[in-house]
Amino acid sequence: MADNIEAIQKSVKKYIAIGALLIFFSGLTVALSYIELPTHGLNILVGMILATIKAALVALIFMHLNHERSTIYKILAFTAVFAIVLFVLFVLSHDDPLTFSGFYSPVDR
Amino acid sequence: MDIPYTVHARPDTGLYNAKIGIWLFLASEVMLFGGLFSAYIFLRVGADYPWPVHDLDVTLGFVNTVVLIASSVTVVMAWACLKMRKFGWYRINMAITVLCAAVFMINKTLEYKAKFAHYAVKLTDGTLLTGHLPHGYQIKFDGVTELSLSVPVKKSAVSADPVGYVLPFIEGDAPKFKTEDGQEITLDQATFASLAASAVEKAKAANKGSASIKLVAATPVKFAAKPSEIFGYTDTTITFRDGTTATGKLVDDKMTLEVDGVDARGVAQSEKSLAFDHRYLGEAWQKAFVSNRDHHISKFEKDYPTRDKSKSATLQKEALFFKLHSATPPAEGEAHGEKHGAEAHAPAEHGGGHGEAHHPTVVLEKKDITFFSNFTPKLNTYYAIYFTLTGLHGAHVVVGALVLLYFLVFDDKRLKKDPEHLANRVEVGGLFWHFVDLVWIFLFPLLYLL
Repeated sequence: MADNIEAIQKSVKKYIAIGALLIFFSGLTVALSYIELPTHGLNILVGMILATIKAALVALIFMHLNHERSTIYKILAFTAVFAIVLFVLFVLSHDDPLTFSGFYSPVDR
Repeated sequence: MDIPYTVHARPDTGLYNAKIGIWLFLASEVMLFGGLFSAYIFLRVGADYPWPVHDLDVTLGFVNTVVLIASSVTVVMAWACLKMRKFGWYRINMAITVLCAAVFMINKTLEYKAKFAHYAVKLTDGTLLTGHLPHGYQIKFDGVTELSLSVPVKKSAVSADPVGYVLPFIEGDAPKFKTEDGQEITLDQATFASLAASAVEKAKAANKGSASIKLVAATPVKFAAKPSEIFGYTDTTITFRDGTTATGKLVDDKMTLEVDGVDARGVAQSEKSLAFDHRYLGEAWQKAFVSNRDHHISKFEKDYPTRDKSKSATLQKEALFFKLHSATPPAEGEAHGEKHGAEAHAPAEHGGGHGEAHHPTVVLEKKDITFFSNFTPKLNTYYAIYFTLTGLHGAHVVVGALVLLYFLVFDDKRLKKDPEHLANRVEVGGLFWHFVDLVWIFLFPLLYLL
């Protein structure tokens, strides 16, 4: 934790820089979304990578996750596991493990 | 009893209690939004219609992104200023944060409002027309001379109330009505009450469950009402929501739409879309559509010679989702402006002024319409998940802003007595605020851009 005054004083500049960087990345995301990549899936991938970088900056710098107590990391480890399960659930509808039917193939949208 | 460890760290966790509390709460919030994002993927993969891309107002969305990022910076600055005991700067930063939240919600309101006023009409051939309803879908009746009203003897939920449910839909002035006794009356609350009372007396004497009243109009009456304002209608009768029936002739049950877009992606031969029928947009617009379509296709062929045209969702949208920017078709050659996507919403305040119409007005026949809706969850799964996600996120913005506003306005005593405690409170409120920003970071590209 940046609890001493000097460390906080130093980080003020950092917060503003990160804010500017986040706005820059947002603009980049908008611009890239108008460029047609070979498939729209690639557009989505690039957009999501940028969003993940932005989210990581917010979590690490603004939410101080770059220097936190281990208790919080332990809580978040559970969250991460459950969140991943949530995102994998839809795969079950796509490739049915009981009948292996795979009711349609994802269309390139 | 005071809550322990609000200022100093608890020895075993190494954290003050509120911090571990907010992180546990945020962990559950990740699950909540994670489930909804998972639903988004599910709906998108299973969508049987072209998933809307760049259909929302990207400028407004981007402004909101910048506003939220700015507020994230100010809330962490507020905390830092408090730690450094710069109370003036703390207040300024906190105020800016709350102000940003207000701007965000105002933008969101404008966005929602435009969606509620904007309609999509699906025609029988799969064409989707978008536009605004100058006076909506109206049922028009002509030559109505007789009204039959029914008043139950016992108190009941449905009882004739012509003043509230029938008179508002008469076009022009309400005429005088003749009762069965040959009396000529002006229908208003008082005359109807006395009429109903005497009819109920008669019904009671005859031992009937309800009294019926017949009124004959002195001159034929015209009615115009929205479907939601009446109970039902046939070719010869119209039943109002109070149970009153009028006998006359159905003139039309058509929908007037100021068309601002023709989406022919669902039609096999796009130029033959029903939208270009001579009753509707007609040949001149058809020409403009074809010229715009061919322009985009040839441009795509030139720019990306190796790619499959049918697989480019962007090309499909540019070529087949035609936006109308004026009341008359553009002249040859200026048909394909470089405008895309976001300008689909005409100004929301755009009322029924026929003189300054920005879009062609068509009158759609009921038999050509399979479905219509404004841009709300019932339109399609995209708008369902859009309103669910942004609505829930908006609720978080409001709650977060209220908490921060509370610290700013009502926690002055703590600021003077125990600033370290307030700093911890602001840090916890700030953590929630950053989470709200973090959710928006994913919402913005997923709903507006990709």
